[in-house]
Amino acid sequence: MSALGGPAQTGGVQPPTAMGLVISIVLIVVALALAFFLVQMAGVIALAGIIIGGVLIAFGVHFVPVGGAPAAMGQAPGIATGVAMLAAGAGLAGLFGGAWAAPFGLVIALAGGAIGGGLLMAITCTMVNVIYIFGMGIPSASGKVDKDPITGDTFPEYKSQGTEGHGLPFISWVGGVVGGALGGLGGTLIYLELLDIYQAQLPVILDVTVEQIASVAVSLAGIFAVGMFLMNAVLAAYNITGTIEGPHDPKFKRFPRAVIAAAAASAVAGIFAIALLELVGVF
Amino acid sequence: MSVKIEVGAGGIPHNQILIYGLVGSLVLVYLTYLNTVTNTQYFAFFGGLAAVAALIWGTDTIKHLCSYGLGTGVPSAGMIALGSGVIAAIFGATTGILAPIVTVIIAAIIGAVAGLMANHVVRMDIPVMIISLIELAIVGAMTVLGLSAMACGTFEFLGMITGTVVILGFAVEAYSASVIGGSIIAVIFMLGAIAIQHSFNACLGPGEQQDRTLMLAAECGFLSMITVAIISFAFIGLLAAFVSLLVSIIGWIYTYTQYIALSKRDAYAWLDAQPILEPKGGA
Repeated sequence: MSALGGPAQTGGVQPPTAMGLVISIVLIVVALALAFFLVQMAGVIALAGIIIGGVLIAFGVHFVPVGGAPAAMGQAPGIATGVAMLAAGAGLAGLFGGAWAAPFGLVIALAGGAIGGGLLMAITCTMVNVIYIFGMGIPSASGKVDKDPITGDTFPEYKSQGTEGHGLPFISWVGGVVGGALGGLGGTLIYLELLDIYQAQLPVILDVTVEQIASVAVSLAGIFAVGMFLMNAVLAAYNITGTIEGPHDPKFKRFPRAVIAAAAASAVAGIFAIALLELVGVF
Repeated sequence: MSVKIEVGAGGIPHNQILIYGLVGSLVLVYLTYLNTVTNTQYFAFFGGLAAVAALIWGTDTIKHLCSYGLGTGVPSAGMIALGSGVIAAIFGATTGILAPIVTVIIAAIIGAVAGLMANHVVRMDIPVMIISLIELAIVGAMTVLGLSAMACGTFEFLGMITGTVVILGFAVEAYSASVIGGSIIAVIFMLGAIAIQHSFNACLGPGEQQDRTLMLAAECGFLSMITVAIISFAFIGLLAAFVSLLVSIIGWIYTYTQYIALSKRDAYAWLDAQPILEPKGGA
């Protein structure tokens, strides 16, 4: 058995089909209506937060310089692993930061999440360049642009023949940190919205105090945030198909497709997360 | 960038594996309900076997999907499977006796949305994308539900969030000492994700054979089962947990020896490495 189809390899960006757009808008509207029906205005606000979180994650993934297997051999710029793995690493680090800061209020928790994700990517990108430059002895050079948009460094003189560039130029480093911060912010936003819902509903259903149920609410919100994070990250990865250098890469322009897909997928997954406790004790 | 991944031809048709996997995992999860019927905990291990059945089916699905060349690596398919599956599994668990069936339906809905988004908005245009993501979401959900049922002896939500702690000789109900309250669900999530994404990733290539890949999937499943069996000592009776551990270890040893035998069958040649013995009296 061999490949019969596969992603169409055309030069430009294929826009979403009309059917896809209609389905995503219908899904988002239906999910918001259901959220209002189930938990009133709090549900709508929570679902809107979850959708914004999902969109931030999908958008953030496009900033992260992903090199894949070619980068491991020094034949392409970026970090030598897949999109899903990198996004998961940055997002989960952000989620830990945000969850730790949750008791300090929304703004500090979101900042904590963004700093957690950004910090992980900053350390990763720095260590990647340490290994590339001092371990493998290769300079950083982008294959997609001739000049670094931030520092103005030129690349063609340093790019080896037969490669798409190598190492991690400064613009990719910045992209990685921005992507990690956006991912951490989005993951933390989903977590906080769900935590509010569960902390309000669980004590009523089980007739216990908030303190007794805290661990269950935290765990449920956390695992749902992780699940939604991975869904959105993989949809963004499918959008990128393979490797991306960062915000200067032509593939970056594809991000509107991933944003639409992530919004619809988050809305559907989010409505199940919000409605989780509606059926407890019914059957 | 998309790379065609060679997979072996022949073997059992995918639809047959689909039916065996779906029916098998549903029946096996329902067998854990014998715990409630007979008021014991000895049948918890059926949950793990359900996860193994689902993982074998999921590995064959990943093989089908990834033969089209996603460009994002095989593990991304496993991450979206468990990411959408865990939401469906926990939502389904709240419906009591109907849990496994509701889980399958919810997972199919979430998977269908992810598939539609991937094909019609992100424009992957892969013919099997939608059906594969539906299957993978169900696989992820049944894996999480099965392993959770194995850890705490029941697939019902209230059983997953309540545990008992012995304080001064008295058994006290505590929400933090439970599968979800203790965040064991996150460990189960990763155990399932590693099991589903490893087998095809390890076996793909020109010499890929279906029986070998699926045997590795079963081996990974039993390996995850061993870990969950050890976790289950904290939640179910000592003897019941020993039964689970015994079943997992026997299953793992059997599948591991079978996998090694199949690898030797498919290998061109192999070296049975022996330790070098010191000659008597010194060299």
